[in-house]
Amino acid sequence: MREMVLLAMIFAAEYLGCGCLALGQSRHWQAVTGTHACPPATQALLRIGGGLLLAAGLMLAVVRDGLDYGALVWVTSVSVAAIAVVATLSWPPRWLRPMTRVAVRKRG
Amino acid sequence: MEQGFRASMGWLHTWAGVVVGAMLFAIFWMGTLAVFDREIDRWMAPMTRIALPDRPRSFDELRATYDTAVALRSPTWTVLQATERQPYIRVAYRDKTGVVNRSFDPATGAVLPEPGTWAGSRFLYPYHYGLHLKIWNIGEWIVGFAGMAMLVLCVSGVVIHRKIFVDFFTLRARQKSQRAVLDLHTVSGVLGLPFNIAITLSGLIIFFAVYFPSGWQAVYPDKQAFNADGGSAYARPKANKPGSLGSLDAMAGEARRLWDGVEPRAILVRHPGDAAGFVTVFQSIEERIVRHAASITFDAATGAVLHRSDALRPVAVAQRFLTGLHRIQFRHWTLRFMYFALGLLGCALIMTGFLFWLEKRRKRHAAEGLHGVRLVHGLVVGATAGIVMATAGFMVINRLLPLGVTLAGYERHELEIWTFHLVWIAAFAHAWMRPRMAWVEQCRAIAALALAAMVLNGLTTGDHPLRSLAHAHLWPVAGVDVALLLLAAAAWAASRWLAASRRRSAAAVAALKEAGSHA
Repeated sequence: MREMVLLAMIFAAEYLGCGCLALGQSRHWQAVTGTHACPPATQALLRIGGGLLLAAGLMLAVVRDGLDYGALVWVTSVSVAAIAVVATLSWPPRWLRPMTRVAVRKRG
Repeated sequence: MEQGFRASMGWLHTWAGVVVGAMLFAIFWMGTLAVFDREIDRWMAPMTRIALPDRPRSFDELRATYDTAVALRSPTWTVLQATERQPYIRVAYRDKTGVVNRSFDPATGAVLPEPGTWAGSRFLYPYHYGLHLKIWNIGEWIVGFAGMAMLVLCVSGVVIHRKIFVDFFTLRARQKSQRAVLDLHTVSGVLGLPFNIAITLSGLIIFFAVYFPSGWQAVYPDKQAFNADGGSAYARPKANKPGSLGSLDAMAGEARRLWDGVEPRAILVRHPGDAAGFVTVFQSIEERIVRHAASITFDAATGAVLHRSDALRPVAVAQRFLTGLHRIQFRHWTLRFMYFALGLLGCALIMTGFLFWLEKRRKRHAAEGLHGVRLVHGLVVGATAGIVMATAGFMVINRLLPLGVTLAGYERHELEIWTFHLVWIAAFAHAWMRPRMAWVEQCRAIAALALAAMVLNGLTTGDHPLRSLAHAHLWPVAGVDVALLLLAAAAWAASRWLAASRRRSAAAVAALKEAGSHA
């Protein structure tokens, strides 16, 4: 049970992390929000937040599986999570809209 | 200068990809399936769908097969205890024609019937690294060449990809198909890059002794001496005098005591029946990534300890780590599923690379009357859809042939392998003869075969998904059934989409002609 919860948390952190990194790029920010360009400060926040979330994913993976297996789990699952973000962006990009709201509110 | 370098890398990427792409797809597809080879074994050999008992069985009970091995003058006799992924006891020795495998029920000790199939671990998995071409290791050399080409493709692909970070998450699926196919190719290539490089490089390093024999040949007189020093293995020559065998269980018990209670998992007897025979007791290889089992070697007759394996030296540890990383025999279900998913991503990478090559040239070749596109089109359909279809056909025929059947001198497992190859050849022939309908029809055939395999499993063994999902020891069967169902659904959806886009383009052509005739 603990393993499953941790795995779900790893994927959640990596999906959100990759999502933040994608939204930190103007093209995807515009596709998701529809209109305006991303303010530079929000963009920086998204990029740093994305990096921190990926790092959190690595920490959780090491907690779950130890250093050797955990590193492998992280490297492979980041790729899978990134593919999921690509799929979201290419099909219903508006699904990522809540993330942009969080990013904007954090700053304001 | 920079432009010239990038252009030359582009040329290299294009043509290396077209030449070895078909081979790479076969290697990636078989490797992806090999991640679950033993689960496919359970599906294809219903007599081995056994619940694993709590306690291992006695080694000495298997003495009858040892006597057979002695009579056959087999150089080795091996026993593998049942494990979670292979829940039966396996005994192996050699006769004149090759390896003989015998299986035993771990709960009762009863002999299991001959499975009559090579299934995942003996057909699909060896296909991945050796293509079943054993003469002069030619299959391993071809796969090694393709692996080197894969590394070249990875590096040249990164060089020619202009906007690697800008396009990191980009997939313009609604753009015209050439753009969408290229995006799919670059996204799957970039996101799968760490896995693809790690897996290709480690795959090459597994076979270092085949690909780079001068290294060890320069230092050691023969392979045995190299293994003894590098892998801390024990060896001594045959005495050519008859010898006896002491109690295997006593030796296993002594090993357990010396290891502070770690359970022995396998026993290997070298020179069975010879006075210089020796018994090596191994721990499991499932516990760590580094693929190395600690072992203790005993004298066969007296049971005296001859050798204890030492810790490996750093280079050997690195090689064993990369081997373990690649072969994923350690116990880790999360990673097993990750490898499977990323293996499929690699298949998508190779396929979209081919599709982009075709899309880019289709119009020009048609205008200039060149035949390259038509030739490569058939190659691509046969190499990608064709091998998937052949695999599905392999599983269908497995559920249709009765146990023990022979035809024209071929045994059951050979008939299955013939079916695989005949379906695959038919796929190539079909793709070259009916290029316009090749994708649609082969996708339909995959959907039909995968669904048929799943239904036939339920009908012939009674382990339909509702039942197999309810029993933990049948989960491998349930997993294969679910994968077949997903494959059928995906192939069906792809065939519908392809047929619809064909109709749309045909309608557009007809409308153009109509407009032309009115004008």
